[in-house]
Amino acid sequence: MDSAAASRAPARAAEGRLFFRRRRVFWLLPVLLLFLPPFLNQYQQYVVNTVLVYVLVGIGFNVVVGNLGLLAFSNVAYFGLGTYGSALLMAKLGWPWAATVIPAGIIGALAGVITSIPAVRGVRLFYLAILTLAFGELMRWTYVHWESLTNGSMGMTVPSAAFPLDTDRHRFYVFLVLAILAIVATDRLLRSRFGRAFEAIRGNEVAAAAMGIPTNRYILLGFAWSGFIVGIGGAMFAISVGQVSPPSFNMQELILEFAVVMVGGLGSLIGSVIGAAVLTALPQIFISFPGFQELVFGVMIILVLLFLPRGLVSLLARLSPLFADRFYRE
Amino acid sequence: MLLMMAPQLVVSGVTTGMLYALIGLSMTVVYRTTTIVNFGQGDMATAGAYATLVFAVGLGLNFGVAVVLAIGVLFALGYVVQRALLRPIANAPHLALAMMALAVGYALRGGARLEWGNQFMTLPRPYPQGALALGQVVIPTDTLVIVGFVLLLLLILLVVFQATPLGRLTQAVFQSPRGAALVGINLDAFHAVAWGVGAALGAIGGVLLAIIVPLTPDLGEWVLVQGFAAMALGGFGSLGGVVVGGLLLGILEKLLGFYVNSMFIDITGYLITVVVLLVRPQGLFGRRMIVRV
Repeated sequence: MDSAAASRAPARAAEGRLFFRRRRVFWLLPVLLLFLPPFLNQYQQYVVNTVLVYVLVGIGFNVVVGNLGLLAFSNVAYFGLGTYGSALLMAKLGWPWAATVIPAGIIGALAGVITSIPAVRGVRLFYLAILTLAFGELMRWTYVHWESLTNGSMGMTVPSAAFPLDTDRHRFYVFLVLAILAIVATDRLLRSRFGRAFEAIRGNEVAAAAMGIPTNRYILLGFAWSGFIVGIGGAMFAISVGQVSPPSFNMQELILEFAVVMVGGLGSLIGSVIGAAVLTALPQIFISFPGFQELVFGVMIILVLLFLPRGLVSLLARLSPLFADRFYRE
Repeated sequence: MLLMMAPQLVVSGVTTGMLYALIGLSMTVVYRTTTIVNFGQGDMATAGAYATLVFAVGLGLNFGVAVVLAIGVLFALGYVVQRALLRPIANAPHLALAMMALAVGYALRGGARLEWGNQFMTLPRPYPQGALALGQVVIPTDTLVIVGFVLLLLLILLVVFQATPLGRLTQAVFQSPRGAALVGINLDAFHAVAWGVGAALGAIGGVLLAIIVPLTPDLGEWVLVQGFAAMALGGFGSLGGVVVGGLLLGILEKLLGFYVNSMFIDITGYLITVVVLLVRPQGLFGRRMIVRV
């Protein structure tokens, strides 16, 4: 037996382990996903695309609820405004979809800034929860009653788009790129001083302010970032469903989005991805039993709160420290 | 000419307003003991109405017996929810407690939809449907029954909370749970009973509501928002305030809907909540509770 080769072997094994211990191993997932579409039929592809939409919705929501720790329910409003914004720019002004993505994000971010005003003024807990909830419902009411623009409760048809967006399979690749960009950007944000400030605010706001962190500025920024990411998710939703109507942005939707964050893992980026995958794919199974979805979501949130307060991602964190959360410590 | 309608609109506003007030009262009882606002209260109210439906229509019991049984079931439900679901995470952040209440309500709504679907159900009216003419104004028996029940319950709650030793103990539990526990008050019992009473009061509200409007699983969401708006307007924690808030909300809703545009009926509650919380967070009769950093 060659002694030199034998001595190299453990080193190579260690190198291999190192690869799987670094966070770059997560890049394997999108690379593997690139080869997924040929195995899926059109309906399954649509469901996977919806998962990618909810990845953005989940990580955006998580910034406010998980990382800032504020009980704000206005996420559905950002989502709806992004969706309607993108759809209207396409339908009324004839913009191509790609040109509406950033504006949809900006519309969401503006809504985020508006909803951050009560939070910045010191409204907290359930006061903030119901205020932001009311904002979302007022937006939905606007979609219903501004009929000249949104076609009211009939809903509006999104114009079909050209090549990279013409089929579910093609859209998948565009969505995958956007989801990766959103995840990487949010990861960078949370690892910067912004993320550390969010963590300080969630931990103890008074102490954070006493240490000289301009808490209000960071709260405003957190809401704006959340709105931006979710608004882009809205643009993806618009082109994916092709038909936009107000009931897509009701309280059911809010619970779904909240469940994505809670079941995946509060404050965890990977958790939001897991939550989006589980909670978007799962309802497809029992779509024909009205009420069952609500029952299952309700029970899932209850079980997670009781037994897994840090979500499904905390199960994975027991297997590998890779999944352990760096932005949300107790 | 248009003004002639105003008194009649006020009567109809009082009817719904008193129901909002009752839901608000049931949430206030939980809030005044546990500092938690039950985001599942609307669905607990509809659960009470569905329970009555099962007992009165499904099993064919006398309506009064059915309502009493439903109230008992909801008391047990509220008690068990607190004991089994909220108490284990009592030390978790407020976010988790609010989520738990919301999730319970959501599961209840799903259960109702699984059984009854989205069809409209109605509870049989246990009293004769009639009206009292007072000059130009017609007062339906519904209004009289609802106003009577809510005022009676308000009176009982006011006496219990303001004029009995039990009320003082509850206030101690609300203000300083740790201090209350130190002087020997059984916190768990207070919290669990408050949830039970809140759910039972919600059930009464749900039954009265289901007599005058069609019952669907989605009614709970609307009821929650109206109850919350009544609480916000009246001031969190104030029993009298929530009734005044509910009345104002009900009347305003009808006046806005008639004189401005009927599309405002849906959002009066939200508008009031937003305006009150931004302009005067303590409401009309509440104490100021706001974080300044």
